[in-house]
Amino acid sequence: MIDPVILQQGSDWRAQAEVFEEIFFVFLALGTLVGTIVVAYTLWNVYKYRDDGDRSDEEFDAPVVGELPTGQGGPKAKKLFLSFGLSAIVVISLVVYAYGLLLYVEQGPDTGDEGNIEITVEGYQYGWAYEYPNGHTERGELIVPADHRINLNITSRDVWHNFGSSRLRIKSDAIPGEYSQTWFSVSSETVREQGGNATYLVQCFELCGPGHSAMKGQITVLPQDEWEEWYANTGNGSASASIRGSGVAAPSGVSA
Amino acid sequence: MSELPPTTSVKRWLVTTNHKDIGILYTITALFFLLFGGVMALLIRLQLWDPTSQILSGLAYNEAVTAHGLIMVFWFLSPFAFGFANYFVPLQIGADDLAFPRLNALSYWLYLFSGVLLAISFFQGGTLSAGWTIYAPLNVPMYTPSIGSTGAVLALAMFVTGTTASTVNFLTSIHHSRAEGMGIMDMPMFTWSMLTTVWMMLFAFAALLAVGLILAADRVLGSVYFSATEGGSLLWGHLFWFFGHPEVYIVFFPALGVMLELFQTFSGRRLVGRKWVIISICLIAVQSFLVWMHHMFLTTINLEIKTLMMATTIGISLPFDLVVFALIYTLIKGRIQFTTPFLFAFGALLLFILGGITGVFLGAIVLDYQFRGTYWVVAHFHYVMFGGATALFGGAYYWFPKITGKMYDEFLGKLHFAIFFISFNMVYFSMFLGWETPRRVFEYNPEFQIYHQFGTIGAFVLGLSFFIMFYNFAKSYVSGEPAGANPWDYSRTAEWAVSSPPPLENWPNRPSYASGKLEFVKDYVPDGGPAMRTDDNGDVATDGGDSHSAHISEYPYWDKHPSHASIWPLALSLALGITLFGFSGFADAVTVQLGETAMQSNVVISNALYPVAIVVGLVGLLYTGVKWGLEDFYAPPTEFAERWPFDGVEKVKLGMWFFLASDVIVFGAFISAAVFVRYNAGWMTWSPLTESLPGLINTFVLITSSFTVILALVAARRKSRQGLLATLGATILLGFTFMGIKLWEWNHEIFDRGVTISANAHGDPIQASIYYVTTGLHGIHVLLGLVIAIFLFVRAYQGHYLDDERPIEYFGLYWHFVDIVWVFIFPLFYLF
Repeated sequence: MIDPVILQQGSDWRAQAEVFEEIFFVFLALGTLVGTIVVAYTLWNVYKYRDDGDRSDEEFDAPVVGELPTGQGGPKAKKLFLSFGLSAIVVISLVVYAYGLLLYVEQGPDTGDEGNIEITVEGYQYGWAYEYPNGHTERGELIVPADHRINLNITSRDVWHNFGSSRLRIKSDAIPGEYSQTWFSVSSETVREQGGNATYLVQCFELCGPGHSAMKGQITVLPQDEWEEWYANTGNGSASASIRGSGVAAPSGVSA
Repeated sequence: MSELPPTTSVKRWLVTTNHKDIGILYTITALFFLLFGGVMALLIRLQLWDPTSQILSGLAYNEAVTAHGLIMVFWFLSPFAFGFANYFVPLQIGADDLAFPRLNALSYWLYLFSGVLLAISFFQGGTLSAGWTIYAPLNVPMYTPSIGSTGAVLALAMFVTGTTASTVNFLTSIHHSRAEGMGIMDMPMFTWSMLTTVWMMLFAFAALLAVGLILAADRVLGSVYFSATEGGSLLWGHLFWFFGHPEVYIVFFPALGVMLELFQTFSGRRLVGRKWVIISICLIAVQSFLVWMHHMFLTTINLEIKTLMMATTIGISLPFDLVVFALIYTLIKGRIQFTTPFLFAFGALLLFILGGITGVFLGAIVLDYQFRGTYWVVAHFHYVMFGGATALFGGAYYWFPKITGKMYDEFLGKLHFAIFFISFNMVYFSMFLGWETPRRVFEYNPEFQIYHQFGTIGAFVLGLSFFIMFYNFAKSYVSGEPAGANPWDYSRTAEWAVSSPPPLENWPNRPSYASGKLEFVKDYVPDGGPAMRTDDNGDVATDGGDSHSAHISEYPYWDKHPSHASIWPLALSLALGITLFGFSGFADAVTVQLGETAMQSNVVISNALYPVAIVVGLVGLLYTGVKWGLEDFYAPPTEFAERWPFDGVEKVKLGMWFFLASDVIVFGAFISAAVFVRYNAGWMTWSPLTESLPGLINTFVLITSSFTVILALVAARRKSRQGLLATLGATILLGFTFMGIKLWEWNHEIFDRGVTISANAHGDPIQASIYYVTTGLHGIHVLLGLVIAIFLFVRAYQGHYLDDERPIEYFGLYWHFVDIVWVFIFPLFYLF
């Protein structure tokens, strides 16, 4: 289901999707394991200590109405702390592990800033507008080159939106008056595998009004030369509803 | 005071102040809202049946989503738990009733009428459609313009008001009325869970009240908090989630308390590691206020804060681990009886384990980034909140015999559980499978259709399973087997020591745990003196010098019975409901056209209904408030009680302190909002809107009035009627002086300088909004204080308060508080 959006450019670049899949897998595996053990252990004991009516009354200290609780610590406190300690170790090591990868996701791969493309994303009811470094504004479709790190600065014109692409595993809040950041990058191999251009669905992940369900967009990744050709034709401050409607010659790969 | 009619009379249920009656009212009303919210849920599920075709418009779908969330979280979960709390907390701690019975009735009626307001909002052009999280700025009229949206916000504010009253009541009861010998660590676990719940509520709901009032100001009066780009959206996020995260535990803890009770009762075992469980839930209650920004990981908060919040979030999961293990180990070596209540409690534990594990996923920020706004979150919180509520249904079966005196049908109960548990997992586990669907979206990826259709089928089965419960309860109530006082083999808590249902005043004689177990003690009542407890040597034991003992003589309880009926809680709630209904349409019905001066301004009324409702409601509030104050309602404080850690604090004073503590949070939220927005706008770019001189004069006026209130108390203690009238009169005069200067200042700002609540000729409009709304809230507090002061003045003129000056003292506490708040407001708005 998830494309291998992996950057293999001779460095240790990892896409957010790859990082997510790794952590998700580890959590899912451990979560299932721990959950199964705890639930199975509980069910087994509930079955074992069911009241089947033929247990002797000796050694059974039945509670009575109106008693005050005694033995606040209880004889099993030791076992309690052992289980608690174990679960704490599992949870804390999981989170420490995930935190190391968070630092990577927050910073993104180090590219020396050469070739990074900064794009401002503005959410509105109900769509997305993208502003390129040259001032060109695009609506609906974000067109970017492969093999570049794309930095998104995300904001909103009206209400609180959330810009996200499930397949790229990127997401960030679009809040009026605020700028949040995320980044992504798609390798040229991926673009080739997708048949010349790679497209990714963009959805809004925060309720923003009656049109929320239909607030969709698209990220299109082109091979670098095609993108440069397209980008060179976007004049200063020009705006176009979409690449096809703009009158600009569509790069050859896009028609697929 | 009127007599309490029998339970067969309708009037009984309108006037009752008895905690058990109100518990029943809460439970039944909450179940009604379960159906209401359930219908909303089924509408959502129908819409999700097909990813392309729709039965609801986008707006109607959003209304259904919003109403479902609001109703289930506010109007169902908490009140359902509070039904049991009302009924059983006083019984479990050995009290006759809650500390303030009329206030308890008021809480219920505020709850009911707030629900009525919410229902009305559907017919006022459509109810709120911004989601139950009501994110800004979708919540302002520009984006959600219907009157019903305002109505729903005001309904929520009214609900929270009732909840705050309830919180004060429970805190005072549990800290003031525990039977002799029941130390705080001896309390039953359900009571413990309710105590921690109400402590969280005291602070969390105050924050919600504040943010609700600010939103109401935006929607009704035209302030611009949440549409401001100077941090308005994030302000909502912070304030809402400061409430919202504790709220998760507020709805879960009562269910946890039921689990803790039922696991013990149906295994015949005592809770393992009881002390550690109590410490854990106290820790969770405190920590719940330190994790709220984990709901905002994708906003612009910085990495340092995210890291801190991740750590606190993981920290809060650890005490839960301990509680879960304690529950499991309690069962071991027990004699587990698979009754319906136990099945529900045990099912709740399993569901909660799954909810907890999937919650740890959300604690890892990288995962949270992708889960944010998806069905993973929806599935997770349903497993936690509704999974927890599963135990509450167990509680309903567990306590049904106590409340009705009849046994429920065990077969139907188990059938309900089986269908409930299976369909529950059908609905919510399918959400994990289709988790990549964005929340609140109905045009989704067809890949996930199979999961959503499976969930929809489950939802209808789940909904229908409740009718088995309703049928079971109705049938058993009419023709069930008599249950007797204690139908369970291994119950421990005191509610099972009295008949089913318990008598009106609960106990045959005074309950006491002084000997280490529950006994009913006959107190020695000497002629002409208060009841006295004698110890083994026959000496009179003292109460640790409680101040209230001096006032006992006024209410000799052996010839004056406690009151159980009052119509004023219902009347007051109705009046508030009418007032708020009026305010819901105020902005649409009334337009103010500003002229050169106040005299030249015009008020245009396009729809008389709403302004008339406001006037009628306000007059009603004043009338019912005065009648309430004059009513001779006797709710005696418990004579011999455990009060740690508030020994020696009189009942009403303790209640007053709790109320003021919540009010501190309300003002704290308003002042934090002012600071937060100003920080976002650039602190130094703002200078005070107003001149400082009127504010300075007002500061002196208010501080002086604090002294006159102290003098009033001194005069009352000296039994000087003239002195009391003079000092109270001076206080009132100073209060009016303050309001007069305030009025002049506002008039000056509006007409001479062009600064109104939504426009500012000299800077950011939000600065003007903050100034008017914050000082306005304080002004309303002063005004309310003046109403009370005038009431006291008239009563003092009639000769009251010379024998019992406590009302003067309590009013003084409130008045000092209002003055202290001003000391914080003054520098913020007038100096810097």
